[in-house]
Amino acid sequence: MNVELARTLPARVLFGPQRPVDTGAGAPPRFTVLLLLAALAVLVQATFGHALSVRGAHISFLTVLVVWTGLRCGPTTGGWLGLLGGALEDALGGGGAQVLAMTIVGFLSGLLSSRFFAESLPAVIASVAGGTIVRNAITYAVLEIAYGDRGSYHRIAHATAWEVLLNCAFAVVVVLALRWWSDRRPAS
Amino acid sequence: MVEIHPFWDERKLLVFVSLIIVAAGVAVIEIDAAKHGRQSALDVIVSSVYTPLQTGLTRAAGALAGGVHDVLHAGEYAAQNRALQDKVDRLAAANERLQADAAENRDLRRLLLMKQAVAGDAVVADVVGYVPEGTRREVTIDRGARDGVHRDSVVVGGEGLVGHVVSTGPHESRVLLLIDPQSAVPAYLQRTRTWGIVTGTWLHARMKYIDQNARLQDGDTVVTGHGEIYPSGIVIGRVREIDRKDNGLYQVAVLDPAVDFHYLTHVLVYTSP
Repeated sequence: MNVELARTLPARVLFGPQRPVDTGAGAPPRFTVLLLLAALAVLVQATFGHALSVRGAHISFLTVLVVWTGLRCGPTTGGWLGLLGGALEDALGGGGAQVLAMTIVGFLSGLLSSRFFAESLPAVIASVAGGTIVRNAITYAVLEIAYGDRGSYHRIAHATAWEVLLNCAFAVVVVLALRWWSDRRPAS
Repeated sequence: MVEIHPFWDERKLLVFVSLIIVAAGVAVIEIDAAKHGRQSALDVIVSSVYTPLQTGLTRAAGALAGGVHDVLHAGEYAAQNRALQDKVDRLAAANERLQADAAENRDLRRLLLMKQAVAGDAVVADVVGYVPEGTRREVTIDRGARDGVHRDSVVVGGEGLVGHVVSTGPHESRVLLLIDPQSAVPAYLQRTRTWGIVTGTWLHARMKYIDQNARLQDGDTVVTGHGEIYPSGIVIGRVREIDRKDNGLYQVAVLDPAVDFHYLTHVLVYTSP
């Protein structure tokens, strides 16, 4: 039994259960809950963003949440959550880039939901990294096109590398915490 | 008929286009507002909700961080507090010494000026004692007969007249203060040259036997008149109240002594007869 557990442990840590029905995870979270989490993420970022930055890059809770939502709930929910969360960010000074970027990130993550599962660590890490890069690329494009901000490429490129690391690290923590929470719940 | 791959079916395409249209609309509004330096309606609504939340969150986090920091550094604070308290105590003691030295310096300067103005000899004395029972307004000074002090020597402070010596020992003398009821000093009002006698009232002094026709004013300066004991011109005090009765023979003036008898530390004693 222990040998079997040790043999399957790396795979279980990396990929988690193979299907949500296997874990008894139940229905995906409600959209209102996700929306509240998005609002909270934006609030924390807007309040403590400067304290959570590394070399000019800010951790983006919203990106992780939107990517995870896309993976977990599909493109429609991911896209809508990205749109509303991005609009919140733009309303607090995002300048119009975040609503587009987060919508696309949420939707694209949702497209992956039919291929990967949200509790697979590699899938989440890859999706968060990709989401962060896509978000920053769209941000750069909007800054270039709409504002003519020619000097932003190096700054955004440098920040993107660190943001990928920060967001992926946070995503790992979130996935492991969710997995632990799911395992703690008594099976219904 | 072309079969649409289930990964990118019509429904997803519709959702994607709808989302992009809405997002682009919001983005255009936000970009337009930002480029014109104003806030969009969405900005105003979100800011009105978020700003109080951010304020509360920032304060709560600040209080929490401050509390944690205080707890973590409690020992260090205690040591710092002790060190600072010691320093405060030392500085307070030094400050008191300096203030006392400064006050003494001021007194001695005044006495020096007064000594330079005196024609005869004078010695500086320290006030070393008071009458224990408080039955008389007398002080003991640390100069006596061996220093040239004799009975009836006039004693002045930096501001004016203190009194006169009533008894002397070899090394000390007793001075009857101006404010003692037994004291009687011939004096005149500097402005009108009106004469009278100044006696003590325990706390203040009173000038009696002032001519009924003299026109006194509050604040008039009273100085000693030349007599058996006192030389002329030493400031006694200023008129505070005037008591004049139409059917009286004289007026009486209540004086504020020039010298503060509560803080008498150094005096000048005239030793010339």
